[in-house]
Amino acid sequence: MTVATTTGQSGGALERSGGGGGSLADVVETVLDKGVVIDAQVSVAVVGIQLLEINARIVIASVETYLRFAEAVDRLDITPKGQKGLPDLVEDASGAAMKGKAIGGLGKAAGAIGGAVKEAVGGLGPDGDDEDEEDRPRSRRRERSR
Amino acid sequence: MSQEHGLFVYGIVPSDVEPTADAEGVGDPPGRVTAIRHGELAALVSEVGLTEPIGRPADLTAYERLLDGTAEVAPVLPVRFGTAVTGEDAVVDLLAAHHDSFAAALAEFEDRLQYTVHGRFDEQEFVSDLLTRDTRAAALADQVRGRPEAQSREQRIRLGELISQAVEQRREAENRALVDAVGRYAVADAPRRPSHELDAVNVAFLVATDDEKDFVGAVEDFAEQRRDLIRMRLVGPLAPYDFVSAHQLVE
Repeated sequence: MTVATTTGQSGGALERSGGGGGSLADVVETVLDKGVVIDAQVSVAVVGIQLLEINARIVIASVETYLRFAEAVDRLDITPKGQKGLPDLVEDASGAAMKGKAIGGLGKAAGAIGGAVKEAVGGLGPDGDDEDEEDRPRSRRRERSR
Repeated sequence: MSQEHGLFVYGIVPSDVEPTADAEGVGDPPGRVTAIRHGELAALVSEVGLTEPIGRPADLTAYERLLDGTAEVAPVLPVRFGTAVTGEDAVVDLLAAHHDSFAAALAEFEDRLQYTVHGRFDEQEFVSDLLTRDTRAAALADQVRGRPEAQSREQRIRLGELISQAVEQRREAENRALVDAVGRYAVADAPRRPSHELDAVNVAFLVATDDEKDFVGAVEDFAEQRRDLIRMRLVGPLAPYDFVSAHQLVE
């Protein structure tokens, strides 16, 4: 089941998905490589598992990762923190128009934001708008009972 | 039972658990799930053709659905996905050989469920936050922006490395903060490996059914406090996948 919970006034910050109802990536992450391993002499290996296992775990920082992050900086044309919270459209427009200016003002913004960030590490203050929720397929719970 | 067929084993449950008639297992068409009992235990199994590949998305989903659905009504020990044994006798042997350790583990899972809290940093938010705090990163970003990769490769690698390190540091801090904030509503917690380079938190919690509401409320608060920075997800209730020590139970 997929339920977007609503906390606070402006929609929930926590996306929820029930067991077995998430994406394949969720299922793979949840179940693979977990659980009791049965003795080799009674078990019969079943094919088709190892491949998935390998695909499920490739999170190693590499030059490729670094380049991708840097590209993101380029692509997103990330502007200083002070401008966050504007609607996307405005943000895009200002990004294009104020590139030089934004970078020039960076040092100053950093000083002002620094304090807020330190505070935030202990318990980030709530602010800003909602994330888009991905639609997930709903699952019907198939019940096994005593 | 012929050589071409085996029994796919889903999990171990108390002997009074009965799969419902519509319980669907792995395979195409889905196998019918039955219980094989021995003593206080039962194994949930379904017949599976050993020549057909098991591991299709539908098989994984069926496996998880069965175990998660079972976990909501009874304690269950998941058996690792992909385990198939030669037949009913092998299942009984298995239950007999490990009867007491399985029973003890099941007793621990009585009225307990797993929830996994998984969060991912919003890339733009995280990076822009970093650039305002880290002058080195900001300077590198300045050198990288608008310049082709060939001309700024070295700076790109250094900038990316800084971002990557910042993600790792922040990830550690957020995982600790999560356990501090919601751990008191859980019986146990188990860290999970990050599954993405922008993973912010990934922790499994074993939660008593009486505390579910408080636990979920605490996770909601945690998420609310980070709503711009981290896209937070709560997966569950689940069977206790992360709390079964695979090698402890069966040597």
